[in-house]
Amino acid sequence: MTDPRLWRILSYGILAFAVLVLIYLVLPTLVIVPLSFSSETFLSFPPPGFSLQWYDAFAQSLDYRIAILNSVKIGLPAALFATVFGTLAALALVRGHLPGRRLLSALMIAPLILPQIVLAIGLFPIMVKLGIIGSYAGILLGHTVLAMPLVFITVAAALKSYAPTYELAAMTLGANRWNTFRFVTLPMIKPGVIVGFIFAFAFSFDELILAIFLTNPATRTVPRLLWEHLNYQMTPVIAAATVVLLVITLSMLAIAAVYARTGARKPSGAAS
Amino acid sequence: MSLAMPERRLEKLSPSAARHRPWSPERGHALLLLPPLLLLVAFFVIPLADVVLQSFAGPGHPLTQYERIFTQSSTLQVLLYTFQTAATVTLCTLVLSYPVAFVVSRAKGNLLHLSLALILIPFWTSTVIRTYAWIVILQRRGVLNEMMLDWGWIERPLKLMSNGVGMQIAMIHIMLPFMVIPLLNTMRGIDGNLLRAAAVLGANPLRQFLSVYLPLSLPGVSAGSILVFISSLGFYITPALLGGQKTMVAVLIEQQASRLLDWPMASALATVLLVVTCLLFLLYERAMRFARGGKTVGEVS
Repeated sequence: MTDPRLWRILSYGILAFAVLVLIYLVLPTLVIVPLSFSSETFLSFPPPGFSLQWYDAFAQSLDYRIAILNSVKIGLPAALFATVFGTLAALALVRGHLPGRRLLSALMIAPLILPQIVLAIGLFPIMVKLGIIGSYAGILLGHTVLAMPLVFITVAAALKSYAPTYELAAMTLGANRWNTFRFVTLPMIKPGVIVGFIFAFAFSFDELILAIFLTNPATRTVPRLLWEHLNYQMTPVIAAATVVLLVITLSMLAIAAVYARTGARKPSGAAS
Repeated sequence: MSLAMPERRLEKLSPSAARHRPWSPERGHALLLLPPLLLLVAFFVIPLADVVLQSFAGPGHPLTQYERIFTQSSTLQVLLYTFQTAATVTLCTLVLSYPVAFVVSRAKGNLLHLSLALILIPFWTSTVIRTYAWIVILQRRGVLNEMMLDWGWIERPLKLMSNGVGMQIAMIHIMLPFMVIPLLNTMRGIDGNLLRAAAVLGANPLRQFLSVYLPLSLPGVSAGSILVFISSLGFYITPALLGGQKTMVAVLIEQQASRLLDWPMASALATVLLVVTCLLFLLYERAMRFARGGKTVGEVS
């Protein structure tokens, strides 16, 4: 009754299906690349001719320059704060034995899961009351809260990847808490911290909804500028800007991947 | 910014204080939690509580806004459509992701790294950018319509951007990594020997899958499904750009808040979204605990 050939055909079918889905995952985004080199103003595909005019327009655009600068000005400190706070939370919740640890961990991850529109609606009046609506401080705080779970997750994973006996050993040998952290814990979790920082920065760099509510035209970030252009004027400048941003994001990912890999190797090397 | 002062003092205090007390490796960890907890309370818990409070404000009795939501057919329709879309997107991503996660979980070496990269690159590509790509593909004179016209499949360009079909296609695309990653995590933990044991005992591949593999992969299925469902419920960017006349609840909240300045209404809608999300998040947490403690399912009470 069971024909092995049938099962083999079926398994090839599953493989082919998976490959198709993987292509579907990546291909649509790549459509933008040829478009950014188009010689036409309209979104026409395939582009009738080759030109670099949209990259030129992108490079000349003051709006984009300010937005990129804003995104960096907001993203770097937000990622830094998120890294410090997220690491503290991970240390407390993974290494400590606090009551209600599960609930607190859920609270730490919650900002990532909750729809950002709800938080945006809640933060707006508070930022108005604090007088920091539209300022860098307002959006920076918002992004710190949203990016903290990413650091918390990566650092908590790093902490769980080795036994706390390393820290115990250091403390038995007379190291105080700070020295234990500085010379034992930090080197062990460093890849997790760095990957968390990169994730946090990439998150802030991409975040749109809080930016719509909490920034003004002077402090608007790249996603908000792209958003406004998408809503009001669709020129291939967006495509050029998008390709540049894509390259930036992918290179950050590559750096994160390299760190994650060296990190994954180190503790196992130290353990053996 | 006023928060920074006491936090720094705590950090300095904890190591020196620990030195004089009886030694214990866990001591002082509770203090480390204070700064992130304060930040979360100030800029996460309080804002959300404010949203809930605001929803009871405004003219009329406290529940006026909720009465409006559940009696006005237009808002009710948006809510229903949001749930329906989230369900459709979740189901489609699950069907598409399961075979992918299965194949990738068995891959090794460079093939594994390549397929992980293919999954993670879209995951980290801006949603604005990916939605823009879908506009380019789906609009009236977009890539898809032009291609199908050229090949003679259709006579006139299809309207894909005004009836919600395009939006759902794009959302499925954007949500796929959120489904594949939890599935992959679970599937990589499934012991291949169990399948072999089933085969030895005479189960054919279909039977092996249905009675061994599928039940073991269910924690990943539920975790991924809840994650995708939650994210789809609150989705703003793609519905706003590709939805056409079909609106989802996040878009409605934004419209009420920043265009109509009806803050109580926006807050009430946000509260509905918040409550639903919280309930689903609790489910997700439970599913993740199941997924992590796969071997000790029996011990989880």
